[in-house]
Amino acid sequence: MQLADELPYALAAVDKTPRMLAELQALTLWHQQQCPAYQQLVTAQWPDFSVNAAGNHNCVDNLAQLPYLAVRLFKQLELRSVPQEAVFKTLYSSGTTGTPSRIFLDRDSAAVQSKILVKIMQHWLGKARLPMLILDHPGVISDRSNFSARGAGIQGLSFMGRNHCYAFNADMSLNWTALEQFVESYGEGPVLLFGFTFMVWQHLLQALMLIGRRIHLPQGILLHSGGWKKLEDQAVSNQQFKQTVAELTGISRVHNFYGMVEQIGAIFVECNAGHLHCPVYADVLVRRPGSWEVADIGESGVLQLLSTLPRSYPGHSLLTEDRAQLLGEDNCSCGLPGKYFRILGRLPQTEARGCSDTFVPALQRKDLSGAQAETQTGAAL
Amino acid sequence: MSFTVLNPAIEPAMLSAPFAPADFAYCQALSEALLKDPQSRDYPDLIALGFWLRQANLKPLLAPYQQSDFFRQPLGLIFHSAPANVDSLFVYSGILSLLCGNQNVIRLSSRSGGSTAVLIEKIRGIADAFPLQNARFQLIQCSYDSPQLKPLIAEVDGRVLWGSDQAIQAQRQLVMPAHARELSFGHKFSLCLLGAEALLQADDTQFQQLLQMFYRDQLTFSQQGCSSAKAVIWLGDTAQVQQAQQRFWPAFTELVAHKQPLNASEQYQALANAQQLIMSSDTQLTLTQQQTISRITVAQLEPMFTNLHQGCGLFLELALTDLQRLNPMLTQAHQTLTVWGVDTSQLKNWLSTVHTGLDRIMPVGQALSFSPDWDGVNLIEQFSRKIVCQV
Repeated sequence: MQLADELPYALAAVDKTPRMLAELQALTLWHQQQCPAYQQLVTAQWPDFSVNAAGNHNCVDNLAQLPYLAVRLFKQLELRSVPQEAVFKTLYSSGTTGTPSRIFLDRDSAAVQSKILVKIMQHWLGKARLPMLILDHPGVISDRSNFSARGAGIQGLSFMGRNHCYAFNADMSLNWTALEQFVESYGEGPVLLFGFTFMVWQHLLQALMLIGRRIHLPQGILLHSGGWKKLEDQAVSNQQFKQTVAELTGISRVHNFYGMVEQIGAIFVECNAGHLHCPVYADVLVRRPGSWEVADIGESGVLQLLSTLPRSYPGHSLLTEDRAQLLGEDNCSCGLPGKYFRILGRLPQTEARGCSDTFVPALQRKDLSGAQAETQTGAAL
Repeated sequence: MSFTVLNPAIEPAMLSAPFAPADFAYCQALSEALLKDPQSRDYPDLIALGFWLRQANLKPLLAPYQQSDFFRQPLGLIFHSAPANVDSLFVYSGILSLLCGNQNVIRLSSRSGGSTAVLIEKIRGIADAFPLQNARFQLIQCSYDSPQLKPLIAEVDGRVLWGSDQAIQAQRQLVMPAHARELSFGHKFSLCLLGAEALLQADDTQFQQLLQMFYRDQLTFSQQGCSSAKAVIWLGDTAQVQQAQQRFWPAFTELVAHKQPLNASEQYQALANAQQLIMSSDTQLTLTQQQTISRITVAQLEPMFTNLHQGCGLFLELALTDLQRLNPMLTQAHQTLTVWGVDTSQLKNWLSTVHTGLDRIMPVGQALSFSPDWDGVNLIEQFSRKIVCQV
């Protein structure tokens, strides 16, 4: 049985880690055989791990020994482990600025990814599809020319709900009529709300405050994602965020989640204790920049993501550009097994100081910080 | 996009005779302002600039150009466009042009920060004491596509473009008068040549000195300066080179670990960039990581290295038994070759055979020192007109 067949939070490390290691080793071997550029990297950086002529390689006994790929390589190179004609869907990290990551999915990978996402979400939302309030404007998915990670995220999560209602107008102002109608129709029962963290704050919560109104969704569950950078700039903590949500909407169940388009499906949802939590299909390591050794629990470093899902592209072990802190494993006060961690924000952009000045034509020059928040989420979907 | 004059002129700009004492005094004042300010200590480029601007440095540097059998006159109005990121580079060409008697307009990127901000403050600070020089050394901040640039460029007698190849091409869209000159300093890639045998024979003092000099060249600007080496060429037989590498790198990485010149983002960049080069190469490369220094062993200088290598503690290593093997790998993009431990006559014999690539050959430790000869061009000659008088 594969880990993908397990329930999302069913296994403690003693059962999970050996299986994870075996699956990730098999994936490392697979990607070496299918993706020549990846094979070249493993041979160069992890010679002990490279495949020998007989198609075997040395086994490792520790997740930390597995090769990892810097996540920005998906922006720079076309990395596939399936033939071009098998590509069923290509995901982009962001459609608006910079070079987007390109993630190639074949039919099976796309299916596994959706299946796992649904499994994880069902753990938090239950099996029934709930009436869904989308904290964005409808154009974000209908406007194909500007179909970004944000749109993809919303579309992906829409499958978890029914009777979708968009809370904002195209200019991101509150669509009070739609909102009121949604609350009237479904407000008594369980409902699902989803939006990007900053937009929830800015365009729902701040907007409600401004007009001095509240909505009442006592059985609502709010899912949000996209990173805290912009909220931190405004000195808004997770706790304050949740408190404001509770005051203005009556919602007490709020879950942030973390994921990226480069490693889709196996997302990390904030548990009831307020920690991002690994599902059985995925794991995290934190590394010290420079030596790249594994950091101690509680020590901040750079986050590495492991997932047993990516098979059509070599994305099963990625070094992200996010700083993080591992908080523990199998001992979270929420009671679920697995590692839990905290995101501390992005590594700052390296300031190019060479003559190799990066030239940004005027047309492409847009607010990069907003786009980054989106890439981080691309939300997973 | 705004167009800002950072040090507005209160006097009209007038061309001057070359090498005027008042212009040297302006440089001296800027030097003192830079070296006196504690803020400069955070910016090694400003300290270096402060020393370079001293009269005691500039006068001897320019003395050879002052005795000649022709008259020297300024070129006129010169537009300089600085790269966004070598914070103080623009001053070198700007100052040389000022000393040649020209009127200068220097465009800074709106993304400039850090040491540039300190520099601007100092230039503004001495403006009142030197109104004539200030008027001939005008700093502006605007983007490449700023509408005010078009009429300005239409009037220039020369322009100097620093930056990426793309940035230079973009700026060429603006038309200069027919007589105007252009100097362009685009993307460059530099190398360091180390003699294996000499390195093995070096005593501890010599060896420590080499480490410090190498460190200064390469890591003062996180290997971002165009003259900092991104590739190390080892010269010697295979066994010697291996031994020399075993002596050099552990000692160097120890120095780096002690000084910690690279932040977490730069360390990430080095790793990600190493992976990118390895995965983009036509051949199988190998990677060695020691602390924050990553080394990729290569058999060729592949053209893609020139464009993709981003420094930050990443070195390509190429071992050669014969310097001639380097010739076919060199392109116009290869700028500085810093050298240590190679016999001078052997080096010069070889250089006479290098017809493409390499603009300056410097001892290790002097990669970053600026000279009027840059990228194969003499700036003083370019910033002035030679007047022939045969009566």
